Amino acid sequence: MIELKNDNLLFRFPKIHPRAKLRIELQRTLRIPDDGRTYPLPPGLGAFPLRHVDDLGPSVPASWLDHGGVVLPMYQSEALWLYFDSDYIADNDVAYPFAVKIAAGKINAVTGEDWANGLDRDPQDYIVVPEQPWLDGYCVERGTIRQFVAMPLGSGYSAEEQIRGSAEYGGLQIIAYPMKPEVFERRFPRLPEPHESRMYGDFSVGQVCTSPDMGLAPGGAMHQEIYSDPFDIEDWAQDSASRCFVHIANSLVWRAITGEQPPSTPPTAREYTDRGMPWFDYYADADAECADGSTVLRGLQGVAGLGKAKGDNALPENESVAPEKIVQLRRGLGKHQVREGRF
Amino acid sequence: MADSFGNYVRRRRESLRQGDPSFSVRQVAARIGVQPSYLSKVERGDEAPPSEGKIIALAVELDEAPDVLLALADKVSSDLKEAICKRPRLFAELIRELKDLPDHAVLSIVREVRDGKW
Repeated sequence: MIELKNDNLLFRFPKIHPRAKLRIELQRTLRIPDDGRTYPLPPGLGAFPLRHVDDLGPSVPASWLDHGGVVLPMYQSEALWLYFDSDYIADNDVAYPFAVKIAAGKINAVTGEDWANGLDRDPQDYIVVPEQPWLDGYCVERGTIRQFVAMPLGSGYSAEEQIRGSAEYGGLQIIAYPMKPEVFERRFPRLPEPHESRMYGDFSVGQVCTSPDMGLAPGGAMHQEIYSDPFDIEDWAQDSASRCFVHIANSLVWRAITGEQPPSTPPTAREYTDRGMPWFDYYADADAECADGSTVLRGLQGVAGLGKAKGDNALPENESVAPEKIVQLRRGLGKHQVREGRF
Repeated sequence: MADSFGNYVRRRRESLRQGDPSFSVRQVAARIGVQPSYLSKVERGDEAPPSEGKIIALAVELDEAPDVLLALADKVSSDLKEAICKRPRLFAELIRELKDLPDHAVLSIVREVRDGKW
């Protein structure tokens, strides 16, 4: 089951384990320059607001209601990243593991393949939480991703349109699989001595705009690794998945359908960097294995390059920057190791 | 109840402090905007739990659920109070109906994000 709680998607699997909970937050961020350089990780600037599509009734396209799920607002050429957090279980001294598959426009963000339910290991088409705390874009090569950047569906920029040649879905698609309970108990046996219990929180659009949907296009490049699954494919409870369609509404459309203001526009990379704000780098152990990246995704054109070819100024304020203040975060994040920029 | 709130906060803070010295009384108090001596008294049960805002700040610091800490302090968050006060008869009846149900039965009535065809 999936709940919407404080603008987070909360995936729960009470039949698998009472603490099998995965929280996914869609983070606002600045758009990194799409200039051929590879940047460190940009900050999180807070969560996007999320609403049930069912609450917006007849004012949203019929396809949104068919897909179900939730909706969030994005400005054209705004960027986002996904933050994953699973519930820490003190008795076993580990956070409950999940396999999570992410797609944009039903194109898998790790492999570039068409959406399919189920997990594949060769090549790995999913990420593993808590090993992978966040995902910022399409995995184009080992250790490099191209940032998720919102562009109007139908304009030809999204990965979906470049790969499939049609603008049909847009948005993000997420499916989560918990580890099988018996595998969890075998791999992470309960600690012999009683530990103090850590109590955690259960824890008519057409009139406004002809293209209410946004798709995610590949933007600038940044360093980010997709870690290989350290478990066995049989360890995942593939018959217990929960999935969600996250629609992306153009910000003007959002105002019309919800009556609410979308968040303000994020700062540009230049404004952020000039104020000495931090960028981030995430280090794994040297022996951590990573995905090689997808040849399909590597062949995509970035928004800036494609815009130039089309004669569009698709990415205004795309100046290169030289981040100087880079915060190093190590794998296995501690309490105060957050990727956040207050601006 | 105040004593139980204080004990709980102290145990949780001390547990975090074992791995991170920034969870001393002084530093946690500074981060939530109270005097260290006051937080210390709250933890010992010599002072009543602080305001809702400070309890929520403390919950964030200690990585705890705000509703859990508020309940330990014998308080209910203001958004819940507001929801109940808007429709008191309906919510009072609902809560009385649900109060003895097991967790999984309560969870089954939580609103889910609907999946569709895609």
